Amino acid sequence: MGIVMTTSCSDDDPIIENEEELITTVIYRMSPVGGGSDVEFQFSDPDGDGGEAPTISSEALAANTAYTGSLIFLDESGEETEDITEEIEEEDEEHQVFYVVTGNSLQISYNDMDEDGNPIGLSTTVNATDSGTGNLTIILRHEPIKTNSGVADGDPTNAEGETDIEVTFNYTVE
Amino acid sequence: MKILLTGLFLNLVHLLGAQNCDITLQGVIKDKATGIRLAYSTVYLEESDALFIADSTGMFKIESQCPGEKHLNIRHLACDPVRIFFTLEKDSFIVIEMEHHIELLDEIQIQGRRGESATEHSSSVGRREIESSSHQSLAELSSNIVGVSVLKNGTSSAKPIVNGLYGNRLSIMNNGLIQSGQQWGNDHAPEIDPFVARQISVVKGASSLAYMGNNLGSVVVVDAGPVTNDPHLQGQVNYIFNTNGRAHTLNSAFEKNEGSLSWRLKTSLKHSGDATAPDYYLKNTGRREYNASLQLDHKFSEFWNSSLFVSSYNAELGILRGSHIGNLTDLETAIGSERPFYTEDNFTDSIASPRQDVNHHLIRLKSIYFFNSEDFVELSYGIQLNERKEFDVRRSGRSDNPTLSLKQYAHYTETRIEKNVANGWRAKAGLQFQFIDNDNQAGTGILPLIPNYRSRQPGAFLIFQQEKAKLNLEFGTRIDLKSYDVRSISQSLPREVIRTEHEFFNFGISAGIKRAWSPSIKSALNAGLTMRAPEINELYSMGLHQGVSGIEEGSNTLDSEKSAKLTLNTDWYINERVFLQALGYYQYITDYIFLAPQEEFRLTIRGAFPVFKYEQTNARIWGTDFLGSYEISDQLKYTVKYAIVRINDRSTGFGIINTPADNISNLLRYEAYRNDRGDSFFLQVAWQYVLRQSRVAEAFDFLEAPEDYSLINLRAGIDFHLDQGIMEFEIYGDNILNTRYRDYLNRLRYYADDLGINFGIRLNWKWGN
Repeated sequence: MGIVMTTSCSDDDPIIENEEELITTVIYRMSPVGGGSDVEFQFSDPDGDGGEAPTISSEALAANTAYTGSLIFLDESGEETEDITEEIEEEDEEHQVFYVVTGNSLQISYNDMDEDGNPIGLSTTVNATDSGTGNLTIILRHEPIKTNSGVADGDPTNAEGETDIEVTFNYTVE
Repeated sequence: MKILLTGLFLNLVHLLGAQNCDITLQGVIKDKATGIRLAYSTVYLEESDALFIADSTGMFKIESQCPGEKHLNIRHLACDPVRIFFTLEKDSFIVIEMEHHIELLDEIQIQGRRGESATEHSSSVGRREIESSSHQSLAELSSNIVGVSVLKNGTSSAKPIVNGLYGNRLSIMNNGLIQSGQQWGNDHAPEIDPFVARQISVVKGASSLAYMGNNLGSVVVVDAGPVTNDPHLQGQVNYIFNTNGRAHTLNSAFEKNEGSLSWRLKTSLKHSGDATAPDYYLKNTGRREYNASLQLDHKFSEFWNSSLFVSSYNAELGILRGSHIGNLTDLETAIGSERPFYTEDNFTDSIASPRQDVNHHLIRLKSIYFFNSEDFVELSYGIQLNERKEFDVRRSGRSDNPTLSLKQYAHYTETRIEKNVANGWRAKAGLQFQFIDNDNQAGTGILPLIPNYRSRQPGAFLIFQQEKAKLNLEFGTRIDLKSYDVRSISQSLPREVIRTEHEFFNFGISAGIKRAWSPSIKSALNAGLTMRAPEINELYSMGLHQGVSGIEEGSNTLDSEKSAKLTLNTDWYINERVFLQALGYYQYITDYIFLAPQEEFRLTIRGAFPVFKYEQTNARIWGTDFLGSYEISDQLKYTVKYAIVRINDRSTGFGIINTPADNISNLLRYEAYRNDRGDSFFLQVAWQYVLRQSRVAEAFDFLEAPEDYSLINLRAGIDFHLDQGIMEFEIYGDNILNTRYRDYLNRLRYYADDLGINFGIRLNWKWGN
């Protein structure tokens, strides 16, 4: 057996697809309701599933503070960064974001709804209570059944559908 | 003179001079496999609308015939019926050989040519079974042969497993060409309409050296057979309806001989909606198929004939909506769910994403020149175009853009010579070349799972055979040089095209001996060493496999697999009513390629996924196939089949994934004549029992193997001779107890129960003008 490996640039090369549907980056931006600087959680994997491992970062929240949360999806695989959040907004009835929190220091509730009056989860209200730590898992489901039991309250257990995003952050409230 | 007709040999010997309308036609009817005469067969002479019954020695006599063209319909219970055409000029005697034990055909007849091997074991599914179950897939039909199982993805795809070998290790010959497109993974079924075939055969030998491709000893052969010699148009319409999935199947076949040219045209249409498990509809499991084939056989002279075969297979397949999941959490939820996601309470006929569009077109030209009655040279060329598009549920209206779109051209050419040499030895030699050009089609918006590639494979074989009354010998060798020119896309940014070239040199040798201990006991022993080059998915798969919930990674440093296999088969006719057959095999594969689970999970934006990488180990495969039949009376026949196979990784001792569970099937069939025109009816009950696959390590799987199950199927049929042809009517029930079960070899077992009860009807009308 023999292998020869070279970088190619001939006419019959495959076309490198523009991965327009790809989401490489999730930013959860929390702005204090009373003003002050934003707190950001970020998950970033610009080269997709293979290659380099993703980077995950999270900033500390202040105790006893309310925030307005907004979720941003980006595609940073190309030369220009594309905002995918709009695609989700346009199909808000077919999407829902779930925020699954462990620990007792963080409460997140929905702040938006689609035309049927069901939550979407791109805009949220975040309450940081006592000091503490825990995990926050943010899940984006495509075609969930929003009317199933508990789904509108933010419980993904019965939501069915297909997971497009599932990222977990460590949070600290101090 | 020996003329090969569909399903029989016919010997026509002229005895005496002609006399006007005073001609006598005599004949004898024999079992082709054993030579035993078949008593009480019916012989229907269409031209005089007269029925004759052969006597207890299989002889029949038809007197006072005028000269002219004659059609005979010969039927024997439990045989494929035979219809022959000839011109009667004077007193004649014919020998008719019927395939009484079609499961035992020792030789595969390929387009009228003798079989590939004198010592290997093969089994077949015949015309009657193919027509009866033409709604089934090729793999499901082949599984009527003992030792053949089916690897399924619900109703959308089915791949045959022969003695533990499937996918890249099992070649499928589609009318002389290696079926192309099989390299793309286990959820892609062979793109073949079984109705095209006169016969589906499975070679279970140690090596099948005359076939190119990557087989490690087993080959599935689909053959349309030669076109009729009858100058009158013959036709057939076959319609099947199944309640499960509200599935319609409509087949038609026409054939005719016009002097030196014979033609045959076949078409198949299939249309079904959501299938049902015992408790729910399986949403989005509908199917559409539009298939056609045309064969033209032309005789240039007594020594030279040519054939053109064209076929087109077009399918649109729905995939269970609830099996399309995003990550491991979804899979765990789906496994724990009582019903699959998206299950609805009503039947739907339409197909939505996820779905597959599959097209396979084939053209084959063949020319054969005989130097004398047995020696010949044959040239053939074939091209296949395989197009596959897979559609997923996507955002922003992209569901109509395929996530995978591949186009593959496969060219194949062969030159073959067969010649009798000294001392009863026969030599077969061939040169073969295959070229594959596989390209991803732009516009998917997704990096491809399989890279663009071209592969070239020249090969050659040489086989020597000696056939004697009691002893057949065979020795063979083949060599192949397979090269790949691959253009893949880098995993890191910025994306760039990487060009890689591979070369594999493979060879094979085999030896076989077949011995008739007595007229009723025959044994065949085969030994072979073969090699298989890694396929493109094993070398280069990269990414998340659709719905498998795992990241699949190829390894471009894989070597060829090396196989040593031994098979021993014995056929024993204990008496005229009892037959036993046992096949044992042992295969040791060095550098066996398999998907090995890796210790670490890979974190992606959709969560953490298990990683499976193609690695090599040493594997051992062994098993036995057993078949027994007992003709309890002239009307009642019992058949039992039992198969076991074990596949072990020799480095860990673990059983390897997708090993079929032990299974046993029983068939009791009652068939009798209703009247003296030879009209008959039958009733049959089939019971299949599949044990639990308890030998596979759970580390290889997301879910432990399902429980054992048993299924009962019933079928009844009746036929009538009409003024024009024969009408058959059948009704049947599958899984009549509506048993809830999941099969280990069906990937949808993670998500849903297997099919529930089904009732079907079938109407078949055959005629000849």
